[in-house]
Amino acid sequence: MAKPTEVRTMSEAGSTYIDAFPAEAKVVRAAFYSSFLALAIGGLFGVVQTLHRTDVYRFMDSADYYTVLTAHGVLLAITFTIFFLVGVFTWAITTSLDRGVEDIRFTWAWYGLMVLGTALVAIPIFAGFTDSIDMSASVLFTFYAPLQAHPLFYLGLVLFVVGTWLAGVDWFRSWLAWKAENPDERIPLPTFMVLTTTLMWYIATLGVAIAILAFLLPWSLGLIDSVNPLLTRTLFWFFGHPVVYFWLMPAYMMWYIMLPKVSGGKLFSDPLARVVFVLFLILSVPTGIHHQYLDPGIAEGFKFIAMTNTMFLLLPSLLTAFTVVASMEHGARQRGGEGYFGWLKALPWRDPVFTGMALAGLMFAAAGFSGMINAGMNINYLVHNTFWVVGHFHLTVGTAVALTFMAVTYWFLPQVTGRALWNRSVALVQVVLWFVGMTFMSNAMHRAGLLGVPRRTAEPQYDGFEFEAAVGSVGELNAQIALGGILLTLSLALFFANVVGTAFNGKSDSLPANGYAETLSGSEDAPLVLDNLKLWTAIAVVLVIFAYTFPILSIVDRGGLFGPDVNPFPVSLDTLPVLGLVLEQYVTTALATAGELTGSIVTEVTP
Amino acid sequence: MTQSTESDQSDQIREIGHDEYDPVGTLALIGLYFLILVLLWFFMYFVEFLGNEPTVTGLLLSVVGLA
Repeated sequence: MAKPTEVRTMSEAGSTYIDAFPAEAKVVRAAFYSSFLALAIGGLFGVVQTLHRTDVYRFMDSADYYTVLTAHGVLLAITFTIFFLVGVFTWAITTSLDRGVEDIRFTWAWYGLMVLGTALVAIPIFAGFTDSIDMSASVLFTFYAPLQAHPLFYLGLVLFVVGTWLAGVDWFRSWLAWKAENPDERIPLPTFMVLTTTLMWYIATLGVAIAILAFLLPWSLGLIDSVNPLLTRTLFWFFGHPVVYFWLMPAYMMWYIMLPKVSGGKLFSDPLARVVFVLFLILSVPTGIHHQYLDPGIAEGFKFIAMTNTMFLLLPSLLTAFTVVASMEHGARQRGGEGYFGWLKALPWRDPVFTGMALAGLMFAAAGFSGMINAGMNINYLVHNTFWVVGHFHLTVGTAVALTFMAVTYWFLPQVTGRALWNRSVALVQVVLWFVGMTFMSNAMHRAGLLGVPRRTAEPQYDGFEFEAAVGSVGELNAQIALGGILLTLSLALFFANVVGTAFNGKSDSLPANGYAETLSGSEDAPLVLDNLKLWTAIAVVLVIFAYTFPILSIVDRGGLFGPDVNPFPVSLDTLPVLGLVLEQYVTTALATAGELTGSIVTEVTP
Repeated sequence: MTQSTESDQSDQIREIGHDEYDPVGTLALIGLYFLILVLLWFFMYFVEFLGNEPTVTGLLLSVVGLA
């Protein structure tokens, strides 16, 4: 039988986060501002790309498109998301354990390391725009070999990831200190979510750490001559798929612990929330190969295992859909909502924090469908490497995560600055505009993908060939993509107006208290085993070993640890003619061989 | 401008406890979502198999002699 849990507010009832934890609030604020800076630059590059690709407005050389794309991907998928989530996680740990960090200098140190890492990554990327500096890193977010970046790019990534590892150490340290003082208490839910996410991140980042430290960095420094591209790709996706849960789990956390509160209700079930996070810890990593369904050199059987694991991952997402909607409904019914669907009207749709998160959740439901298509091995062949995939992840990280982060910013900013939000109506328009813009852009991207329009292409327009749309036309799809991109940019402008406006607002004494949602069914209903982090980590590691040992051994066996001789390919125009010549030579040789072969076969079979 | 982003707690008109709460609205919404998913899967059949050349399944069928 569930008992209502105690009201969770800070030690001083009614105080904001900055009142209770002034030193920590500064770090959280710095992390948020770093994240917003990345969002501003990355977002601007986003609209440049939509206009360029669709040929609505081109002002740069198409070769620079890939530099813009790299900056867009890295700044948004890595910098924006991770800086924001380390801020949220630090807030969650300090708030739910009701204690400050153990050593604020350590906290600033990991933040500083992340900033340094970002700067080192950004320098070579941005240097790619000019020929006067001899460095570039136009290798896109996935940095697949043989694309090669300047060593600073890899070094910066390493420092950034080490910064996040130390952040994890900081959170674990807080929890261990708290546990020593409260040996018999359950881990508070927000802390539980932070710890499971961090453990998942530790396992996941091993892949990218090995890819960079053992192969890509020594290769770009000239210490080794060659790498095995399939091996580094596989190690990238070992990290590259779980990284999406590193973005998503903080968004889930907000849906579990903030959304019920702003809906006027309570979290439906603390135990279910714990189960979901445990499942993500276990299942996030052994799935990466589903990004490589079309990679030759990995046996279909291994891909099938990755697909099975991926389909299991639908379980925690569907559990989340149930728990989060049930929590919202609880709020709506407490506010007087009635009926099967009538309760939806009783939700606080004028509150940007609520509306932003609810719309983000709705978009995520749509992303669930396109994700199932991506995850299915046979149907994936239809959409692989097409614009469909871009449409998919603009629904997940670009909306479910980004819109949730922007929406909760309207709650967090007053908490970490002590200043009231500049304008709530602008905030409401902002979140709705994001939803509308993304509906246009993402839907059109999905449809374009079904026609076979490729992703990662500056000019998907070809001489003597046109994509044929069964419904509508390519022109109409392009118009929707460009329109969506512009609406999203407007939405970003409104977001930054609010962030800056709030920063310059006066201090306010009438801010809501720091805290998070209470629960209908609390931690006392959750089986104790759920809090056994060692057990879940061990299971996660075993599953990773099952899923990856044989594929990696077979990749190394076939292609060698350092691969066949692969020529590095820094993307610059000078190398293009050379590459063209080399390709031409290869093709000519191949054709000649094929011709000879056919000739000899014909001779043999002819009586 | 002083504005709070906190939803107004005074909007709450009743307290619903664990045992009185029956999330039928959630059932209705999730049911609707599953219905949409099923319809989209049917739609996918037309997109993949009727709009394009046969892919993996087509190959399998020709291998086992069904097509």
